[in-house]
Amino acid sequence: MSEAAIVENGAMGRVAYARIAPNEDLIQGVEKLCLAEGFKNAFVRGALGSLVDACLGTLDGKCLQIRGPAVEIVSLAGEVRSSEDGSLRASLSGVVADPDGNVYGGPFVPGSNPICMTFEVTLEWLPAAEQPTR
Amino acid sequence: MLKPSLSGMDASPFPRPRTLIHPGRFNPVRIHSKHSERARHIRLALQPGLSLFEALVSPLAGIGVKHASTTILGGWFADLHYCVAPPDPSGKAVIAYTRPIPAGQAYMIFGNATLGKNRHGKPLVHCHAAFRTAGGQTKGGHILPETSIVGPDMIPVLVTSLDGFELRETFDPETNIPLLQPYEEGADE
Repeated sequence: MSEAAIVENGAMGRVAYARIAPNEDLIQGVEKLCLAEGFKNAFVRGALGSLVDACLGTLDGKCLQIRGPAVEIVSLAGEVRSSEDGSLRASLSGVVADPDGNVYGGPFVPGSNPICMTFEVTLEWLPAAEQPTR
Repeated sequence: MLKPSLSGMDASPFPRPRTLIHPGRFNPVRIHSKHSERARHIRLALQPGLSLFEALVSPLAGIGVKHASTTILGGWFADLHYCVAPPDPSGKAVIAYTRPIPAGQAYMIFGNATLGKNRHGKPLVHCHAAFRTAGGQTKGGHILPETSIVGPDMIPVLVTSLDGFELRETFDPETNIPLLQPYEEGADE
């Protein structure tokens, strides 16, 4: 297609969309969404929403806490992989904005990022990849 | 008085999550989801001079896409407006969006926008993004798509079409605000 094209189309594989409710943990919420929709592996995309407080991991094994409510998720990308022990593990990285609009970034710490109002998220997987778990 | 302590519980270096009380009745279903076996990836060029809303909605409607998850890959806006979400002083909800804050001629670093339908069946765009304001500050928040205007160059967007189900804005009794949720195509709420 020419550079001037406004839309260019292509195929992709399986997709799921969810709204996750307040007080659920961001990371485990995404993992449970994979269970609900039968994804063993997924790219996590198109995510936006808010957190009560955000907790982003730091190099010393601690975290940077950003106090809300609400802390807006303004960028998020990551993946979910199935482990050899049979568990699912989401790794999500992103940028958040505090109630004054100031931004912070890093990896989201599992168990410490409760959703405030809503979290909208899209999972995708490769078109020719393995069949889902159900 | 001694603080109650359960062995090992204080050892976590991470803050304990706060469970907020919302005004409405707790809904036991916490994950509202739908899936589709096949979707489309689309590269969309947001056209200069249009509002973010128009630039997203019209070309996608032209190829039959009414529900989508999109990633805005970065570019200049001639004008950008956003809101942040501090606690709601009225107590009607846990938080309330502020009045629109002008960011001026801003560079959107990265954004995600969801395309669905509002309560009247019309297109709705929900966008959060990080951006650099005209004043040089890097900020983030809820973007107002109707009043944010694409700058002089097109802005590339990766669109994932959501085929086989719908995203509709419906009133959520628990949080007491309208929210986008997935539904069967054409199904009632």
